[in-house]
Formats: sequence, C-alpha cells, structure tokens
Amino acid sequence: MAVSATYFDGQSAKSHEVHVSEDGQQLTFSGADVAQVSWTIAGLHAIDPPSPGQPYRLTHEGAPGARLIIRDQDFITQLTARSRHLHGGYTRKDITQLLGWTLGGIAVFVLLGWIAVSVLPAPIARAMPQSWRQSTGIEMEKAMAGGKVACSTTAGDRAIGQLLANLAEGVPDMPPVSVHVYDLGMLNAFAVNGGHIIVTKQLLDAADRPEELAGVLAHEIGHVAHLHPEAQMVRLAGVQILSSTFSGTNGGNMSSNAIFIATVLRHSRAAEEEADAYARDMLVKSQIDPMGFKTFFEKLLKLEGGSSSQFSALKALGSIFSTHPGTEERIAKIKPLPEGVVAKPALTPEEWQALKKICG
Amino acid sequence: MSDSETLPPQAPAEQLTFSYVSRPGLLKITLINLVFNILTLSIYRFWGKTNARRHIWSCIHINGEPLEYTGTGAELFRGFLFVFGLIILPFLLLTTGLHIAYGDESPAAAAASAIFGIFVYSMIGFAIYKARRYQLSRTLWRGIRGNLAGSAMTYSLLYFGSMVAKGASLGWATPVMNTVLQEHITNDMRFGDAAFKFKGPAGPLYPAYALCWFLFAVILFVSIAVIGGILAGIYSTIDGTSSQKDFAMLGIGIVFFALAFLCYMVIFPAIWSIYWAKQIRTFAEYTRFDGAQFKLNATAGSLIGLTVVNFLILIFTLGTFWPFILQRNFRYMASRLKLEGAIEVERIRQSSLAVPKRGEGLADAFDVGAW
Repeated sequence: MAVSATYFDGQSAKSHEVHVSEDGQQLTFSGADVAQVSWTIAGLHAIDPPSPGQPYRLTHEGAPGARLIIRDQDFITQLTARSRHLHGGYTRKDITQLLGWTLGGIAVFVLLGWIAVSVLPAPIARAMPQSWRQSTGIEMEKAMAGGKVACSTTAGDRAIGQLLANLAEGVPDMPPVSVHVYDLGMLNAFAVNGGHIIVTKQLLDAADRPEELAGVLAHEIGHVAHLHPEAQMVRLAGVQILSSTFSGTNGGNMSSNAIFIATVLRHSRAAEEEADAYARDMLVKSQIDPMGFKTFFEKLLKLEGGSSSQFSALKALGSIFSTHPGTEERIAKIKPLPEGVVAKPALTPEEWQALKKICG
Repeated sequence: MSDSETLPPQAPAEQLTFSYVSRPGLLKITLINLVFNILTLSIYRFWGKTNARRHIWSCIHINGEPLEYTGTGAELFRGFLFVFGLIILPFLLLTTGLHIAYGDESPAAAAASAIFGIFVYSMIGFAIYKARRYQLSRTLWRGIRGNLAGSAMTYSLLYFGSMVAKGASLGWATPVMNTVLQEHITNDMRFGDAAFKFKGPAGPLYPAYALCWFLFAVILFVSIAVIGGILAGIYSTIDGTSSQKDFAMLGIGIVFFALAFLCYMVIFPAIWSIYWAKQIRTFAEYTRFDGAQFKLNATAGSLIGLTVVNFLILIFTLGTFWPFILQRNFRYMASRLKLEGAIEVERIRQSSLAVPKRGEGLADAFDVGAW
C-alpha cells in the first residue's frame, strides 16, 4: 500500500509531495523531486503520539531535521499497531533519563548535605583564625542578648573571675573564655564562638550552690574547647547555601543572625556528650564537687518531668530524635570525686552571694 | 556550486498566515508538573517546562504546518547546573565566608553583595539573549530551525545601558531604548538562512508613552494622598494609648496595603497596556521577513484582558498554572499576527549557525526566561 505524504528534508523549507510505503522493516518514499529514501522502522521517532484525524509526524534518527507527515489514517494505524515506540509520548529512554537525572540530583544533594553537615564543619572550625571566632562570637552574643546589657557589679564580676580561675586550677590548657550574665527570661546557658559564654539570670537564680553553676560552666567550656559553636555555624551556613542552590533562588537574604541564633540553640547528641565528658574531667582535676553538676541536672529533670512522665513511650521516641541526650543518662555518668580527693569550694559564701546579686 | 540547480530561480511565493489551534493536554501537563516538582524537589521543572512548550508550540500553525519545539529537559537541567556551579555557588560561598569572617555590617560583605548585585543586573540582557537563542534554535517549522546570529555580550551591554538610561530619565528613555533593543535582537534573528529586519524610529511611541506616564504619576500621587488621608482620619478616631493605636493601625494598614497592592496590580498594568499595545503594534510594523511586513492587531483593551486574567491565574494557582499563561500569550500573538506580502518559502535553507548545547541556566536563575 502506498499513500501520499508530505516530506521536509531538513535542508530547505520546501514542501515535497511523496508516496510512502512500508514493508514491516523499512519505510520507503519518493516523489517528483525526491529520490527514493528508506528509513528503518526501528529508527523512526514520532514527534507526537498518533491522534485520530490528525496528521502523523515522523522523523528518523539518521535525519534529525527531516519530517514526514502522513495523513492516511489506515496507514498510520497499520504502522503504529506493530511498533510500540511509534506511539510517541515518553519513551523508555526519556523515563530512564529523567529518573537518572532526578536520582542523580538527589544523590548529589544528599552527598553534599552530608559533607556540609558531617565532614566539613569540624576541620573548618579548627582552621578558622582566632579573630574570626572573636568577631562572630561578639555578634552572636549581641544577637542573643537582643539589646539587653550584661549584668555587672564589681564584686559579681570578680566572683565570676574567681570561679573560672578555680575551674582552671587543674586544667592549665583551658581555653580563654568570657562569661556574661543576662536577664533573658529563660533558664539556659550557651556557649557561642570565641569562648563567649552566656548564662541567664534565671539559671543563676535556680542554682543553690556555686558547684551547680561550676558544673554548667564546665560543660559550656567543654563546648568552647571542642569548637562546637564554630562548627555549628559552618554547618548551618552550608545547609543554607545548599538549600538556596537547590531551590533555584540566588540566595535571597543572607541573614547570618538567624544562623547565629540557631547555632546556640541546639547541639548534636555527640557534641553534648563531649561537653559533658570535658566537664566531668575538669571538675575532678580542679577538685570541685561534681555532685553540684548532678543536683543541677536533677533540678532540670524535674522541670522537664511532669508532662513527659505520662507519655513515656513518646518521650523514649523523642530521645531518639532529640538533639538533647536524655538527661537521666547524662546524670548517671556523673560520679563523685575519687576517694581521698578533698573537694575545694567552688566559691566562698561571700563570693557566691556577690555573684547571685550580679543582676541586682 | 551551481545556484541554478539548488535554488529554483522562481520559487512560488506563499502568503503566510498564523493561527493557534488548541488541543487538549495542557491541564494534564500542568498537573503532572505540580506533582513531580514536589516529588523531585523541583528538579522536574526543566522537563515540565519542556513539555509545556512542546504542547504550546505545536498549537501554533503557520499555513497549516505546526511549529515544533525540540528542546529537552536535560538540556535545561545542564544549563542550570552550569550556571549554579560556575556563578551562584562560588558567590554564595564567598559572601557567606565574608559574613562569617568580618560580620554582617562589614564593608567587605557589603561590597561583595553590591558587586554581585551589579553583576546580576549586567547579566540580565545576557540571560535574555541566551534564552532567546536557545528557544529559537529549538523551534522548527517545516524542519527548519531559528537562531540568533549575534553576540549575547553586545546585547547584554546594550541592555544594561538601557536600564541605566531608563532609570536616569525617570522612564522617558524607555521608547528609545526599547526600540534600540528590539532592533538589535530582531536583526540578529534568523529562520534558517533568512534574516529578520527591523527598522523604524522611536518617535511615534512617545505620545502614548507620555499619556501613560502622566496617568500613572497622577494616579500614584492621588492614591497615596487619599490612602494617607483615610489612614490619618482613622488614626485620630481610635481611642486608647498611642501604642494601642499603633497596633490597631498596623492591622488596618496591612489590609489597606493588600487592597492597594491588588488595585495597583490591575490598574497600573491597565494604564501601561495603552503604551504596550502601541509598542508591540509598532514593532511588528517595523519588522520585515524576506520582504514581507508584520502586522499585529494589538489593542490596549485586549492587552488589559490578557494581563489581568494572567495575573489572576498566577495568584490563585500560586504560579503553578504558568503553562496556561504561556499559552494565553502565544495564542494572543498567533491569532493577531499577520505577515503582509508573499514569501518564497522554498528558497529558505537550513541554518548553518552553531546550536547551543545547554539552555537557559542564567535565565532560570534570574527568572527572565519566559517570553
């Protein structure tokens, strides 16, 4: 069966009238000004799926610009009935390609994410010059304080200095730190870049003994010593870059304040455990009673308790995902000073009173 | 080469007519885009864009023969990777580093952002030209593809200059600059080996521009005065302390601005439609292809209808129904465009210009790819 069709050779816009026939293997056509052309059926490609009443447009892998337009519906039906690939739409190759690019893209994204979150932060934090840690630390402390001024009295400041000196007693390589007390309306302590430690007035109020505060400070100094805040900042910057790259925006507003604040909110479970280990070691070496650290944790547990005790299953689930290691687990690891070691007071009663009154 | 053999000396001249022949399928493409964009973290958007274009192109018929879009999603995706790997990512790393090193308010961080801003502005023309070249080179009619024959860099400089000139002249340079830009890009345009030609003065655009400019200025000024007056009136009638008043005003102000925004999104495009209709009509008349002259039946009223409905589609579908906006724009052009004069179509031969291998990375990043 030979039917008439229109042929564009891909070389000129001239329209050629041709007669087409097919033998199951090849499509052959020729016309008044077209010498005989044979296209293998396997190499044919449908521009659009065949649609009843519509012209059917074909091209061939060997002649990418050429187009053959067939209008005879019986011929189209006969040709496409045997060859699934001529039904157009997505070919297996298209779907493989799309899947490949998508899975590849997601794999690259996950890989980059893993590098940004787990591999790079610690080395970059270590390589960061001290001046960067300082300048960002000061900015972070400002951002955390939200315009509030640090509490300060002569005697209170001296007491903080003395408490740090007592903590450093057995740990000569303790990193330099600065501790400021702020009234932030929440009970917490944070370490930010460059050894800047923020203690809230509410935390200070909750501490009954200087040893309790000493434990918290030792823990925060642990974060400082391990450069956790710096690593966290790098991690969040990396995540932000990745997400803006992938969402197809050119970054938008780079709000580094948001990075800074997020930095101090949460550390990973591993980071908390490292800081705990550092604190336990420091307290023993400096002969400060670790039981203060312990009782303070127990107070925190009581504050956390209440609601969560009814939902122990939920709480267990929470502790898997929570960035805070379970408080009970952490408390259990705190042991008293070894036998024969005499505890020194973290501060004298006078110094402690002065510190408690630092916010007036 | 013997011309007499390859080119018939008297090819029959044809009158070309454009039409938009709708067919179903665009809704399916749109919905698939929506679902797949979510599933693939938006990577599918390149394939989605390609499918929508393939559909819409195939609805545009010239003398009964449809256009064909031959671009692929993978080409667009490679363009995106190229631009983000080479430009956006290094910049993000650099500015983030500077912000971390010197703080948010440091001159270094500000300078980096400013330099990048200027860079982006200077590259908008480049992105437009490259995207246009990609789209033309992927558009086939009778097996012959289009192209742009010139340099994207030249157009980019021209475009940057035009933005500066428009800003510095409070908009008054717009007709001249648009004419210059359109002349440049049209004269670079090819279909096969046949060139488009653009020639004509910007002067005839000025009456319409002046009308729109003054209408716009008056409405802007009056509306600000009226809204300001109403807000001040409400403020004085609210009882309470000044902080309570401020809080109440904040709510009222937000509602007002939302209303004003909506009005402006309708009123301002409506005003400027007078000018835009005049401009595209004039530009069509200035454009010739192989001796034939274009004519576009564009009116302010029809353009207002087009843009207002487009805007409503955009906001009510949160941008996800953009294929329909594209379709509406192409249908508008295809059903109103005429080519007056006959063309010896059979003399047109395939373009020998190089074809870009990747597409639209920069245009995707700057969001200027759409026609």
